Formats: sequence, C-alpha cells, structure tokens
Amino acid sequence: MKNRPMAILIVMAALIALPWWAGDLYKLHLAALICAYWVLIGGLNLVVGYSGQLSIGHVGLLAIGAYCFAILAGTHGVHPGIAIAASGALCGLCGLLLGLPSLRLPGFYFAMATLAFALIVTEITLAQGNLTGGGVGLSVPGLPAPFDTPRGTYWLILAIAVLVTWLTWNVARHTWGRGLVAVRDSAVTAQAVGVPVFRAKLTVFVFSGLTAGVAGALFAVLQSYITPDTFVFDLGLFFFVCIIIGGRGHILGPAIGTIVLTALPEMVAPLAKLGNFFYGLLLLAVVLLVPEGIGRVFELLIEYFRPRRGESHVVKPDLDRLAKAIENGRSVR
Amino acid sequence: MFVALVTGLATGALYAAAALTYNVMFSTSKVLSVTTGHISMLGGIFGAWFISTLGWPVPIALLGSMVVGAAFGLLTDLIAIRRVLARSDEHLWLLSTLALATMVQQAAGLWWGTEPKPFPRLIPQDFSAGLGDQKYWLPIAIAILLAVALEAFYRRTLYGKLFVAMSEDAFAARARGIPTGRIRSMSYVIAGAMGGLAGFAAGQLTFAYFALGLALTLNGFIALAVGGLGSNLGALVGGAALGILSAVATYFVGGEYQQTISVGLLMIVLLLKPAGLFGSQSVRPI
Repeated sequence: MKNRPMAILIVMAALIALPWWAGDLYKLHLAALICAYWVLIGGLNLVVGYSGQLSIGHVGLLAIGAYCFAILAGTHGVHPGIAIAASGALCGLCGLLLGLPSLRLPGFYFAMATLAFALIVTEITLAQGNLTGGGVGLSVPGLPAPFDTPRGTYWLILAIAVLVTWLTWNVARHTWGRGLVAVRDSAVTAQAVGVPVFRAKLTVFVFSGLTAGVAGALFAVLQSYITPDTFVFDLGLFFFVCIIIGGRGHILGPAIGTIVLTALPEMVAPLAKLGNFFYGLLLLAVVLLVPEGIGRVFELLIEYFRPRRGESHVVKPDLDRLAKAIENGRSVR
Repeated sequence: MFVALVTGLATGALYAAAALTYNVMFSTSKVLSVTTGHISMLGGIFGAWFISTLGWPVPIALLGSMVVGAAFGLLTDLIAIRRVLARSDEHLWLLSTLALATMVQQAAGLWWGTEPKPFPRLIPQDFSAGLGDQKYWLPIAIAILLAVALEAFYRRTLYGKLFVAMSEDAFAARARGIPTGRIRSMSYVIAGAMGGLAGFAAGQLTFAYFALGLALTLNGFIALAVGGLGSNLGALVGGAALGILSAVATYFVGGEYQQTISVGLLMIVLLLKPAGLFGSQSVRPI
C-alpha cells in the first residue's frame, strides 16, 4: 500500500482537471451530478453499508434539502451558501426526528418506515402548494459569482464530495466504524461488548441526513427546476442499489457503483428506457451472486493476481539433531 | 360521511387481504416479501387484460388471475427466497424481493402502460347502485372469505397443520421429516393465488394500475404491523382500522395527507404495543 497516496493524488488531479478533458458540457454536468449523488450516497453508505440499516427512503431527505434550498435562496433571496448550510441542518434535524422512533424497529420495519417517510414527503410537497409550488414545482437559483459557471459549480460540488468522502473514510477506519460494523453483523454482540447501539445508529443516521440535505441543495442547483416528480421513489431505490452493488462495508465500491450506475444509463440509450428494471436486475444479480458487492470481486481479483510471496516458511527437518536427541533420550533412560 | 366509511372499509379490506398474504408467506419462511403488493397488482392488471382485451368470461379470467399470482409467488420463492435463505444472511431477502418487485413493476409499466386503466364490471349491475355497488362489497367479501378459508385450512387439513408446525419451529419440523422447502414453495403459491384473487376482486376500486404494488405492500404491511404479525384476525382488524381511519381523515382533513396519517397510526401502535394488537410477544435476540 505504499503507492496509495500517489494513486489518490493522480485521481484527484484527474477529477480537478475534468472540465478540460471531459469534452462537452453535458458530460461535465453528468460528472457534477455524480458528485452530488455521491454526497448523499457517501453519508447513506455509513447507514446502509456500515451499520446495516436498510434505509430506502433517503430520497425524502434529498427532496427536503432541495426544497429548502429552493425556497430559501429562490423565494426569500437568502445567500446560497447559507441556504446550502440550512438545507443540511434541516435534513439533519429531519434525520433525527425520523431516526428516533424508526431506528428502534428491526430490519423490515425500518425499511418500511423510511419508505413511508419518502412517500409522506412527496405528499406534503404536493399538499403545501403555496410553499413548494405543488405539482408545478419551483425554479432554483444558481450559485453566486465564483461558482456560477458549469466549471465552478462542478468544482464546488467536487470539493464537497471529497470532503464527505474524507469524513466517512475517517469514521469508517476508526473505532466508530468498527462499532458500526459490529452493530451490522450482530447487534446483540455489539451491545455485549459495549457499543452504544442505538446512539451509534442514530448518530450516523443524522449525519447521513445532513449530507442528504446538502446533496439535495446541490442537486437542486444542477436540476435548476424541481417538482415532486423529480423525487420519485425510484431515485431512493437508485441510491440504495448503488451502495449494495458497490459492496457493504466499503467506500470505494459504492463510489464506483455510483459512477457506473449514473453514467451507464446516460451513455447506453436502451438501458435508460429500461431504467428501474435494469437497477432491479442488477440488484438481484448482485444479491444472488456476490452478496458482498462488486467491491469484493475487485478484492478477490487483486488477491488473485498479486504476486505471491515466496514460500519461505517451509521448515526443513533437521534429521541429524533429531537423531541425536533420540540417542540422548535413550542413553538417559 | 357514510360513503367515506364504506369506501374506507373496502380499501381496508384490500389492505387486509395483502396483510393475509404477508402472513401466509411469513408463516413458513419468516420472510416479509416486498413483492406482496405486486402480486395483487398483477392480479388486477391481468384480470383487466383477460376480460377487456382477450374477452374471457369472468370465472375463467378470475382463475387466470389466480394462476398468474400463484406463478409469481412461486417465482418469488425460486428466485428471491430459496438461495437467500439457504445462505441464511439476515436482511438479504429484503434486497432480493425488493429487486424482484422493482423488476415486475417496471415490466408491468412497460407492457401495460403507466396510466390507471378501468377494470370491467364483474357482475351486471347498474352504476347507480350507490353503496350497494359491487366495487365496495367485493373486496370486503373476499377479505373475509380469505381469512375464514385460511383458518379452516390451518385447523382442518393436514397441510395446514404442516404450515403451523413450520411456523412454530422450522428446524423441529424438518427433524420430524416435513419437507420444509416444498412446504415453503407451496405457501408462496397459495399466497400468490390469494393475492391474485384479492387484486382481481378489488380491481374496480383500485383500477388496473402498475404502481399499485408498492402502495399495497406498504399499507398491507402497516395493517399487519398494527394487527400483529402472524395473526389473521389481526390482519382483518388492522386493515379495516387503517382503511376507515384514512377515509375518515380524508373526509375531515382532505386527501392530501392520507399516507401521513396511516404511517402515524403505525408509529403510534408500534411505540405503544410493539407486537401489534393481536400479535404474540416473542422477542428473543439471542
């Protein structure tokens, strides 16, 4: 792992230089969209991939963040930077309010509670017409001066995505992350060894809410117009699929999953038509064939192709010494 | 007001039927399949297709819907349940059934179209029948019929008793020589036929609509959780309560907050009585 900092530097340089080699603006937009998704998925990964709580309703939080940004920055003219922060804070609070009752529930119940939450958010955005524009939707203002070009927007979103990646990576490799993995694998054992199960789950859930809110604001900026139809349940499923396909308990895997799953349907037209069918098929294939996710496949491949160390541990029998030892033993007796 | 109550009761009966379907599958496999609502969705869509497009008579179309549902139930077991349970990793069944449900919903959307289409009249009746309209009492009758038939099946027949034995303790049942894999497949086939029947009977109420599955999965689950997992009486009561509550709330508050209210009911019940109204308390984490 000596060359890891080098690899990270190269990837970062490539990402920063993306506006020059991406070619057209559409691809740049796509890259920015991937980064915005990743801001959400990075946080969600801690919930789904590490602590094993299957939240399929994060699209609700995304919608709240997006509407919060649109209402604050658009209708009330608040500075967009503050609006992004406010979106994050509001969604963190929503994560807390959603998590407090529902994280106590076991697996399927929790998944259904988050699904219901996503549906409720859609319902409320439709019902509160004078605030959210109802079914017509809201237009979203752009970002201020240094970030108002496509490049600037991309760089800002990239920076936030990198920040989120760094945060989640820090959590994942320290005591906290280990505790979460313990909660995922066996909540009872985790409790027995002193992991504060509920608090750990709640903390990462609130964190994921926060990132979802920020992601919502960035997503709204990229979309430039939002309606309740933007935030259909399928989008929540998409986030979820990215993580499962990438692999639970990894960070690189879900990142690759996000990139591939966002870009592939855009690049290959027939897949875009199939849309959710494709995602469902992929999810089913991964669950049945490699439940650990694609990341695990890469790991296995790397392990397979890595040059094996010479077998230096073979112990040669020292026959002379053995013979002597036996001789001595006999003479003593 | 009275119309609201009857509508609520009919919708609630559909939720109750979905909850019963959950129960049948849960009893043998301890799996709450996300595809539950989608079975009824298929029943509704195929029923409408059989009658309207292919021109089949109603009884044969009903049979066809049940066969489609049963086939889908078997497919769920074959694809999404069997291998996952064999691997015995927690939660994975949630992912596999979710994946299957998504695929079926999308396939139905592509084939049938994404607009709700009307479901034909099953019994010749005037549209001015009001509250006596078949679209209200058909789902109610079917839900009660299903619950009664299930109870009779569990109590009177040998296979029903095998189901009960498996739901009590699958390992012990296996040790006694019960072919647990085959019984589980059978329960999925039965659940599929039940779901198809319910979707067919409620077709006039819900229309043949591809996105019905997810809403039904959620609301059926709420009905089940309120009534208590594993209890058929609980499923009926939970479904009726959920349907009536949302209908009354719609009457007084307006239709915008239907989902919010049903989820609120779920949360209240789960916080006050986690096992549900008629459920048995058997939480043992170790």
